[in-house]
This record gives sequence, structure tokens and C-alpha cells, in this order.
Amino acid sequence: MKTRLLITLLFVVMLPLAAMSPAWSGEPIHIAVSGPLTGNFAEYGQNWQKAINLAVEWINATGGVNGRPIEIIYGDSKSDPKDSAALAQKFTSDSRIVAEIGDFSSTASMAAQPIYDKAGMVQLSPTTSHPKWAPGSPWSFGIVGTQAGEGPFMARYAIEKLGKKRIAVLHINNDWGIASKDYFIKGAQELGGQILGVESYFETEKDFTAVLTKLRGLKPELIYVPSFYNEMALMSKQREKLGWTDVAVMGPGSLYSPKLLEIGGDSVNSLYTSAVFFPSDPRPEVQKFVKGFEAKYKATPNMFAAVAYDAINLMAETIRKVGTDRKTIRDELTKTKNWPGVTGKITFTERRDVIKDYRHLVVRDGHFALFDK
Amino acid sequence: MLVPQLINGLTQGSLYALIAIGFVIIFGTMNLVTFAHGEVYMVGAFVGAFALTLWHLPWFVALLLGMAAAWVLGFLIEKVAFRPLRTAGHMPPLLITIGLSIMLKDLAVILFGAENRPVPSIYDQTMHVAGVQVSVLQLVILGLAAFLILVLRFLIQGTKIGRAMRATAQDHEAAYAMGVNVNRIFSIAFALASALGGAAGVLIGIYYNAVYPSMGATAGLKGFAACILGGLTSIPGAILGGLIIGVVENLTVQFLASGYRDVVAFLVMVLVLVLRPQGLLGRKLRTV
Repeated sequence: MKTRLLITLLFVVMLPLAAMSPAWSGEPIHIAVSGPLTGNFAEYGQNWQKAINLAVEWINATGGVNGRPIEIIYGDSKSDPKDSAALAQKFTSDSRIVAEIGDFSSTASMAAQPIYDKAGMVQLSPTTSHPKWAPGSPWSFGIVGTQAGEGPFMARYAIEKLGKKRIAVLHINNDWGIASKDYFIKGAQELGGQILGVESYFETEKDFTAVLTKLRGLKPELIYVPSFYNEMALMSKQREKLGWTDVAVMGPGSLYSPKLLEIGGDSVNSLYTSAVFFPSDPRPEVQKFVKGFEAKYKATPNMFAAVAYDAINLMAETIRKVGTDRKTIRDELTKTKNWPGVTGKITFTERRDVIKDYRHLVVRDGHFALFDK
Repeated sequence: MLVPQLINGLTQGSLYALIAIGFVIIFGTMNLVTFAHGEVYMVGAFVGAFALTLWHLPWFVALLLGMAAAWVLGFLIEKVAFRPLRTAGHMPPLLITIGLSIMLKDLAVILFGAENRPVPSIYDQTMHVAGVQVSVLQLVILGLAAFLILVLRFLIQGTKIGRAMRATAQDHEAAYAMGVNVNRIFSIAFALASALGGAAGVLIGIYYNAVYPSMGATAGLKGFAACILGGLTSIPGAILGGLIIGVVENLTVQFLASGYRDVVAFLVMVLVLVLRPQGLLGRKLRTV
């Protein structure tokens, strides 16, 4: 009863809105998004949502895709593999949905992968960067680059740019963290870096005092920490409390989020990281996105918003070219070459992932800045 | 790195001890186990975090507020889940507390969100003691835990209510016959136990700089393990149990790996119980 009332109410509220929108020549095109809208990765998922809503608003305001509006169906996976797999079942069995964007973590994306593979639906992840992910199914695409590119880049940053050779690694114990650690270590060792120790922690860990105390005993010049803003912020505060300040801290681009600065405060100052997207990039597509995002949300978009923005625009562009058949969308996506995204040019390799250009970043006085030395 | 790890372990262990003492008080006086204790700790932690971040109160006010909230919650749980079922045996109250624990946790997810809520640090300086760098906050937490335990000891050993609690613990009926208001003692015992849990929650929030709805699950389990390890009805046993689990966890990280910390902590508990079923400081239970 209550739901019926709610639907009626919604309908009444939506009616004038519907009347205002342009006359569409066809049914909406449904694209599903599976990502962490709540939970510990919610900040990332909400950034996706903002960027995707902005992109869809712009697409639909300029006539949609071949006269049809885009409509997004969101699913909240919390970036949990159980939930992303369940959502995959739901999305693939919904015949309206033509393709899916998601999921957030490599673990969540890889758990859903076999389901999309079997059903034959594109799974285009804005953030999944595990090198084994995209090659795992002909239906999987990754646009954020992989650790196979980022790991060696970070290793060069640590050793060649910063001159830190004695390195300890502390990584999150999941698919992404392990791959991230492996590629970094391989890159560092090739450059003559010395890996003093490798430790890991589980996703639910909040107490880093013990593992930090242990790593401190190895006297590294730099610790490399493949992790996310939440743990990195806690870890930095706890490290400061232990009085361990004579060490450089570095982590991959996953840390590039304003939340890191907000939660971490002073403790994340002079943290080194990287990015594929930097808002002050002068390229026109970047500036259009940054200005539009700032006008709508009163906040500067981050890398996670940027990759989601690229994902939805690339998807819309592909559908515009070839229509809404699930298989033709896949085939057309594989041909993407030099597509100008806000996170750089996108060309899919034969493994359906992308090789990115990274920027050197460092946290200075509570802001991310380009590292220039 | 051995001494810093020992201090890490003792700090963490002292907070486990506060939780474990709560189990001991409840089990000691009422002969019942509550599984909502971890969630009481979580609620205390959230109230403390709100006091610090939203209302910008000093940390000791936050600590008192967290304890007060936990006290009230414990009082209510006793009224709702335990009092009406006093004569119903062990199972029904136990099941109700499991239900309450799930309910409280999910309620916290709905109200506050599942993500970590950052908590500001206090005393984030370090000092040198005999050549070892120690965190001032760790010393503050150890001191506060010891202080709370001393206050509790005074309450139990030095006051009239404490005497009534001890009498009730020994024999409900005899205490009742001597004019002790047993129902009131149960309420106070439960609320007191909860307040200690709340204190541990606030302190852990400050220590790790984060509170989150699911934090009660592991903490409750560790506290319960510490209580069993110590002997179920012994407060010194619970303190010892908590400290042992804390230290073992941290040494495990030092000498094995981070992932093994819970494995080894619980393994030690199992081994102690196999060798000494009554726990470290517990009395042997007579089988009837």
C-alpha cells in the first residue's frame, strides 16, 4: 500500500518534469552502473554517480543518443564481491539494459565477470586495474590503466626522482593490492631498489600500530602502500602518533581523493602519489568537465569522477555509432582508438585495457600538487 | 622493536580488559552472558566521536558522555531483555541479546552509514622513556584504563552497593532474604558493565582515529575471549586475559605476519582452556 502511494506521489512529482524534457523519438537506452554507493568506498561511488549524472544530463540535453535519452540504472554493490555478482545477475537478466559500467574494486569486478561473460554483456570498469581483469573475458574493458603500467612508474618515482632505495611495502590483502605490490616490487628491483620487507593487512583492519612498528624496525627510507584513502589516513595518523616521521610515504593513484586530505589532515603532508587526471589540465575537454562539475556540485572532480565520466561518455559514443545490441557494442568498443577522454587518450590494447600517462603528485600544505623537481 | 610492540599490545590489551570486565560483572552477578556488549561498546564509541567532532567537547567530557550513553543503553537492555525472563533459563536472554546486537549494528549503519567516521587525535606527541620512544596517547590510555579499574575496585570493595553486588553474586536468594534489592543490583551491574564497555569504545575511537558500526563484533568477541581466558568470574583474570590477548596479537604481527594476529590470539585462548578449563584465575567449577 505504502509503496503504491509512494509511486503515485513520485509520478505526480515527475509529471511536470517529464513535460519539460524534449520530445524523444524513442524509448530510453538503459545503462547499468554497479558501484559502491554506500559503505567504506562510498566516497568513490558517489563521485562516479555525480560524474555520470552530469554526463547523462549533458547528453540528454543535446538530443540524447540518436534521439533516445540515456537512463542509468544504479546498483549499490558496496564494492563487495557478493553484491556485485548478485547485481550482475539482475542486470544481465534485464533485457532493457544494453551494457554495464562497474564495478569499483578489482575483487568486486572479477567476481561479477563470469556472469557478464556468460550473458554476453559489456562490463566496462572505470577503476578496475588488476592486470588479469580485462584479459579475463572478451566482454571486460578497463579504462584506468593497470598496475603493470602504474607499478613501474611509481618505482621510478621513488628511486629515480626521490632517490629512496631502501623500501618497505605494506599492501592491502586483496587482488588489487597484491598485483599492485608485485608490479611495484618488480619495477623497483630492476632499478636497483632494495625491498626490506613486505607486510599486508586485511580490508577491515583499523589498527596499524603493530605492523608500522614492525616496518619501522627495518629502517626503510620509503614505505610504498597500495591502499585507499581510508586506511592511508588512519595509518598516517597512527604513524605520526608512534613518532615515526623520518620516512617517505608513497602510494598509487588510488589515494588521490580529497577525503584523504580531509581525514588524514597534517599527517598526510608530503605523501607521494600519482594521477591520470589533474583538474588544472588545460585541455578543453578537461576544462569543460571540471567547470561543469564545479558549477553543479560546488566541488572539484577527482580522478574517480573523471574515469566514470570517461566511461559513460565512451559508452554513449559507442552506442551512438552502432546502436543498442549488446554484442555490437562490445565489438565497436574494442576498436576505440585515441578517443579523447578527460583522463587522457583511450586506445584499447588487445587485452582491452589502456596504457595511461601518469603525473607525479605530492601532498603539500593540505593540497595535492604536481611534483616538480 | 620488542618494547614498542609490548606497549602497543598492553594499550590494546587494556581496552580488551575493560570490555572483558563487563562480561565478568554481568556473568558474575546474573550468571548470564550478553552478546550485545560489543554493540554497547560501539554506541559508546559513536557518542564519544560525536562529542569530539560535532560538539567539539574536550576528550574527557566525550569519554564521560560515551560512558553515560552506554550506561543508559545497558540499563535498558537489562530491563527489556533480562528482567522479564529472569526465570526463563539461559537461552532466551542469550538469544535476545544476539537479536539486539544485530539490531543495534544495523541501526547504526542506517543512521550513521557503514563507512568509517574519522575521530580526531589527542596527545599525538611522543616522548622518550629510557631510550625508547613511546606515544603519549598510549600512556594516557593505559593510565585511564588503570584508573577506571581502580574506581571499579573501590565501587565493589568499598561501597554498600558493591557489598550488595558481591552478596548477590554469591547467592541471589540469600541476598534477597537479607533485604538486598536484587533487581536493582542487576540493573546497576549491567549498566556499570556497559559503561566500562562504552569507555573502551571511546578510547579505541581516539586511539585508531575511526569508529564504524561493525566495530563491536570483533571487540566483543575479543573481550569475551579475554574474560573466558581469565576465568569468567575473576576481574583480575579478565584484566590478565585482556593484556595477554593484546600482547600476543602484537607480537604475532612482529614475528609472523599481520594476518595471523587473530589466529594466534584465539589459538592461545584455546590452548589455555584445554590445559586449564577454569581459565587462568578462575575457580574450578564443581560438577553437580
